[in-house]
Amino acid sequence: MKTIGLISANYVSGDFGDLAKRRTLASIPFGGRYRLIDFALSNMTNSGIGTVGVIAPYNSGSLIDHVGVGKPWSLDKKTGGMFVMPGSVFGVANTGNRFLMRDFITNKEFLLKDNADYVIISGSSDVYCMDYRDLIKAHTESAKPITLVTKKVTDAENYRGFFVKTSEGKVTEITTKSFGDADYFMDLFIVDRKFMIDFIEWFDTLEYMDVVDILCEYLEKFDIGTYSFDGYYGKVNNLVSYWKTNMDLLKPEVIKELFNPERTVYTKVQDEPPAEFFTQSNVKNSLVAAGCTIKGTVENSIIFRSCEIEEGAVIKNSIILQHGVIGKDVSLNRMILDKNVTIKDGVHVDGSAESPIVIGKNKKI
Amino acid sequence: MKRKKCVAMLLAGGQGSRLGLLTQSIAKPAVSFGGKYRIIDFSLSNCVNSGIDTVGILIQYRPLVLNRYVGTGAAWDLDVAEGGVHILPPYASQTGGEWYQGTADAIYHNIDFIDMYNPEHVLILSGDHIYKMDYNKMLQYHEKTESDLTVSVMEVPMEEASRFGIMTTDEEDRIVKFTEKPAEPDSNLASMGIYIFSWPVLKAALLEDHEDSDSEHDFGKNLIPKLLSEGRRLSAYRFHGYWKDVGTVSSYYESQMELMEDTELDIFGEDMKVYSNSNTHRPLIIGAEGSVENSLISNGCRVDGVVKHSILGSCVIVEEGAVIEDSIILPNTTVGSGSHIVNTVVNEGAVVESDMKIGDADGETQVYGETHLSF
Repeated sequence: MKTIGLISANYVSGDFGDLAKRRTLASIPFGGRYRLIDFALSNMTNSGIGTVGVIAPYNSGSLIDHVGVGKPWSLDKKTGGMFVMPGSVFGVANTGNRFLMRDFITNKEFLLKDNADYVIISGSSDVYCMDYRDLIKAHTESAKPITLVTKKVTDAENYRGFFVKTSEGKVTEITTKSFGDADYFMDLFIVDRKFMIDFIEWFDTLEYMDVVDILCEYLEKFDIGTYSFDGYYGKVNNLVSYWKTNMDLLKPEVIKELFNPERTVYTKVQDEPPAEFFTQSNVKNSLVAAGCTIKGTVENSIIFRSCEIEEGAVIKNSIILQHGVIGKDVSLNRMILDKNVTIKDGVHVDGSAESPIVIGKNKKI
Repeated sequence: MKRKKCVAMLLAGGQGSRLGLLTQSIAKPAVSFGGKYRIIDFSLSNCVNSGIDTVGILIQYRPLVLNRYVGTGAAWDLDVAEGGVHILPPYASQTGGEWYQGTADAIYHNIDFIDMYNPEHVLILSGDHIYKMDYNKMLQYHEKTESDLTVSVMEVPMEEASRFGIMTTDEEDRIVKFTEKPAEPDSNLASMGIYIFSWPVLKAALLEDHEDSDSEHDFGKNLIPKLLSEGRRLSAYRFHGYWKDVGTVSSYYESQMELMEDTELDIFGEDMKVYSNSNTHRPLIIGAEGSVENSLISNGCRVDGVVKHSILGSCVIVEEGAVIEDSIILPNTTVGSGSHIVNTVVNEGAVVESDMKIGDADGETQVYGETHLSF
């Protein structure tokens, strides 16, 4: 049974402050050296899927720079491989839809030219490692044309998106509002390729709608199944969840699951030298990427590639993206620093009173 | 195909027996270095940083890790359409086959390979030196001086000169005498084992040397003295910068420890960047009880113990209560809780059991454990 992948990266968010001002969610840096889309792409590769389409947004510069021809994910191939495809341009940024019909209509060719049985369609901004082979098996056995993947949550009120209710294995309700215990749709589903082609043709006048919204409207017409994922699921849809999902990496059980040696999370390699720690450095409970030089104190923080942290600086509960320069005797708490930010000697900033404070790219404070 | 100006031939077949356990199961150029690198990274990165895109790697001793590591050469941008990296093992022909008899013999057996690219010049390199060098500058010097052979040299302290191949030069830096490890050196210009030959001259010399039954088929011992005696133009190219042969455990240890000091070799610099084919590992983690000072730590590591003035290779696990001082822990090694390692190189993939005491702070640096490779 052959399966191909289709990843939608054509959505942005206004809930990330300066961090997603010029980036699609898919290319927001994450976890010291990654970008969010690395997880979606690596899940495909690690599940033996060798043909993957990526629907790019109009502001795809950072995304295309990162994914290139798909080499890090072994998707630079003669047969199959990575196909970066154009997403629609929006009058206003697409902040809600993950799976816009227009993007599927525009790129129907991707589905037509392959002979695969199934297509796994995913978002590009959530953090999890899943072996899709288990999903493919469950989907095959269910004989349903579509299987939505869900995660059990206990605090549904904190999630934005879709919740799924089932009866006797069949989806009976898809809703955007829920409280307490619920099955949250992970922006991930598997569908029979031929069914998806038909679906695009049936609803091609609803090009402005989201695929899931259409399923919701016409629920009684379709036999939709679900598959519940019981692994770690880091939902990244605003600044607080971005901060929290990064900090989850400091939990041994999370790091063990996400960075299992059997399932590498691939990313674009930058060839940085090992991180250098100086005599005065004091680092506790933190993630530090290659190329950093550390002379100060770092606690409960995520430090990306090639940051310099000077003597006397104290960084707590913060995320510092690549090429940050933190001057002497600086103190930072609960801050998110975008790429190439310089904090001058002696500056103190504390973001703990609000949700984390973001300092925009290339800023000098 | 376009004729190549210069093809590099990298001698990577030697055993490196003075490194003992480190080269028990892998060739010296493939030995881990500086946390995330392998020794061959420096020569390969120099090639690509010098605009040389065609490299033959001559292998013989324990080549499996080296072959796998070099792969397609993509890690060094050496996966190019015309040229790129070529692994060259000894091979049999209709008249039989044999192991390489010496450095010159290894090149002799690959004359056909070099002829495929028909280069003007051939650069001969060793795969076991740590340095950053722009070979293109040396090539320009070689062409400018219209030399048949240019040997890269550096000044060494006179008292150490008898450990090296020593070049005696005239006022134009033309080589007038070459002596391998002279007891009483009359110059302090040491050969770095880096040669640029004009290919027709080298090819003729190799063919002649092959017929000479008295020859050991070695560049330093036979070929270079022969060219000198024939009155060929041999020039010395003076290199100024960091260069180290890591042929012994102590030089291997010292040159890595020097990475944490201010030396002329700046592996952190973007200038002449050193590339490596490391796997994609997550960033390193220092746990709540971990402590690191004055050290280089690679991706994939987890430190819950204490690390002082040491280098950890990729994916080294330091468990709680373990103390590592003045040591180099090669990749994929686990250091058990409560153990204490001092002044030691712990081999790749070795396991240090809990509460082990290894190393002597005042004695010589030792290598601990056998290599257990996993990828």
